[in-house]
Amino acid sequence: MTTTLKKISTLLTASFLSLSMVSTSALANGEIGDHVNNLHAHIGEYTEEVHWLESKFGSVVDAYASKDKNLKTDALMEYWEEVDFHSAIETQYVPIYASIWQGIYGVKVAIDESKPIDVVREEQEKLNHALWQALGAVKLASQYQQRGLVDQVRTTEVEPTTGPAVIDDIKTRLDRVVAKYAEQLNEVATTLVHDTYLQRFEGVEGDLIAKDADLVEALEKDFNVTLPQAISSNKSVDSVRDVVEAMQVKLNKARALLVEAEKGRKDVF
Amino acid sequence: MQRRTFLQGLAAAGVLGSVPFSLAHAVSAAGSVSVETLPKLEGDLTLYLGRGEGGLYENVLDAIKKRNPKLNLKVRRGGSAALANTIVAETKAGVKRADLFWAVDTGSIGMVTDSGAAKPLPSTVTSQLKDGFQYPSWSPVTGRVRTLPYNTERVKPEQIPDSIMALADSDLKIGWAPAYSSFQSFVTAMRILEGENATRSWLKGINKNAKKYAGELGVVMGVERGEVDVGFANHYYTLRLKSGKPDANVALAYTNNDAGCLVNASGIVALSEGDLPVNFIRYLLTHEVQSYLAREAYEIPLVQDVAAPEGLASLSSLSPPELDLRKLADLRPTLNMMRDVGVL
Repeated sequence: MTTTLKKISTLLTASFLSLSMVSTSALANGEIGDHVNNLHAHIGEYTEEVHWLESKFGSVVDAYASKDKNLKTDALMEYWEEVDFHSAIETQYVPIYASIWQGIYGVKVAIDESKPIDVVREEQEKLNHALWQALGAVKLASQYQQRGLVDQVRTTEVEPTTGPAVIDDIKTRLDRVVAKYAEQLNEVATTLVHDTYLQRFEGVEGDLIAKDADLVEALEKDFNVTLPQAISSNKSVDSVRDVVEAMQVKLNKARALLVEAEKGRKDVF
Repeated sequence: MQRRTFLQGLAAAGVLGSVPFSLAHAVSAAGSVSVETLPKLEGDLTLYLGRGEGGLYENVLDAIKKRNPKLNLKVRRGGSAALANTIVAETKAGVKRADLFWAVDTGSIGMVTDSGAAKPLPSTVTSQLKDGFQYPSWSPVTGRVRTLPYNTERVKPEQIPDSIMALADSDLKIGWAPAYSSFQSFVTAMRILEGENATRSWLKGINKNAKKYAGELGVVMGVERGEVDVGFANHYYTLRLKSGKPDANVALAYTNNDAGCLVNASGIVALSEGDLPVNFIRYLLTHEVQSYLAREAYEIPLVQDVAAPEGLASLSSLSPPELDLRKLADLRPTLNMMRDVGVL
C-alpha cells in the first residue's frame, strides 16, 4: 500500500464513522442511493467513469492545444457533474472531492487565462491524479462497506451527542468547507464555517476552556477570523486547506481533552 | 456599587404568558427535591432539545433514561429557535409531535408560550424555583448573566462604573467581541432599554477605547493577560478559566439594572397534558441535576437551595433589567447600527 493510500485508509476509517452526519442539504450534487450505499456493485461503473472523465478532460486540453475557437471550458464542470462517481466520492472522502474541484478549476483557469500548453498539461496531470486517487478511496470504501464496518449514508442529518463526536463532525464539516471553496462556492463555504462555529464548536468550547483556554482562544480566532478571511480574500485552495488542516490538528488535541474530561466527570445521580 | 434586590428576574423579562408578575410571585416557595423522592417515569415521551452545553444535557438525559428503564424517550435535536419555529408550525397545523421542549434561550421559549402550545405547570413544580423565576406555563432550568470581567492587577473594583452606559465615558481600556452573538444580544437589549441614539453613542464611545477580540473567551483571556482593563462577556467564561487557572488575574464586576447585567435562561415547556411530561420536568429541577449543571457547565441553578457556581455573585445581589427577552430575537436593527457605526 502506498503512503497516500495508507493515509486515505486511515482517514476513511475516521470519515466513515461520521458518514451518517452527511445531510442532503450538505450535498450539492447527486442523490444518495444505491450507488453510494452499495459501492461494490458499482466499482466497475466508476472505473469506466474515471476513464471517461480522463478522456473528456483530455479532449478539452487537446482542443486548447489545437487552438479550437469553439472551446468552452465550462464543459469541464459539466463532465464532472454528469457522473455518478461524483456523489460517491463526495459522500465517502471529501478531501479528495475538494482536490478534484481544485484540479478542474486549475485546468479551466489556465486555459481561460491563455497560459502556455505546458502549464495547462501540468494542471491536467494534477486533475487526473486526483481522479485516480478518488477511485482508490472509493474502492477502499467499498471494502469497508462489504465488511459492514460503516453505516449507510443517510438522507437526514444526525446530530452528534457527545463532545468527541462533535469534534469529529466539525472536522468533517471543515473538509466540506475546503470542498465548497474548491468548487468556488465561497458564500456556501463561509456560511458553513459560521454554522459550524455556532452549531457545533460553541457547544463544546465551555468544557475545553478549563482544560486549555489558549487552545480554545486559538480555535475561536481560526473560526471567526483566519478561515473566513482566507476565503474572503480569495486565497488559493491550498492556502484555505492549510488553515483547515492546522485547525484539525488543534481539534485533535481538543478531542483528546474532551475524552479525558468525560472520564473524570461525576455521575448526574 | 448600588444594588437592589433581584426581584424582577425573568418574570419581568416578560415570558409570563398572561399572568401578572405579582401573581407569579404569589406562589409560595419550596425547596429543591432529591431525585429519590420522584415517581418513576414510564411511557413514551418526545423531547425537542435545543443545542446546549455539548454533551452535558445529553448526560442528564442519559442519567434520566438509566434511572427510568420503562421510559421511551425520543429526542429531536436542533437549534433552539429552529425547533421553536417547528413547534409553532406543528401547533398551527394541528400536528403535535413533541411532548416537551428544552431550549437554551428564553426567546425561543417565548415563541412557544405565545403560540398557546404550552401546557400549564402545577404549583408544586413552579414553587421549587427561586423568586422571580416562577412561571405558570414554562420552567426555567438554568441561567447565565452578562458580566464585566476585569484585570485584578490593573483595576480596583471601585474604578468600574456600575452603569453600563457610564463605561463609554471612562478611561478604562475595554475588550469586546462585536461579532459575537452574545454581545449582539446584549447590544440589542441596550437598544431596547436605552434607545437607538444612546446605544449608537455608546458604541462610538466604547469603540474609541476598545480592543476587538474574535470571541468572548478571547475577551476574558485578553483581560487576564492585561491587554485591556475590563471586558464584556457572559459569566461562565471567567469561571471556567478560573477553574483551570485559579490564580488568573481576572474577577467579575456587575452593572446595575441595565443591559450590562442581563440574565438569560434555558427553560423547558410541557406541550402535552398529563403527568409524564410534568414529572420529566421535575427531574430537571432536582437538586442533583441543578447541582450537576452548576458544577459541570457553570450555569446558574434557578431552583431553591442549590448553590451557584463558585465565584459568581449570589442571584439576590444582582439587579438585571426589566426586559422582555423575546425581543432579543430582533437582531437586524442592531447589526445595521453596529455596521453603520463601524464596529462590525
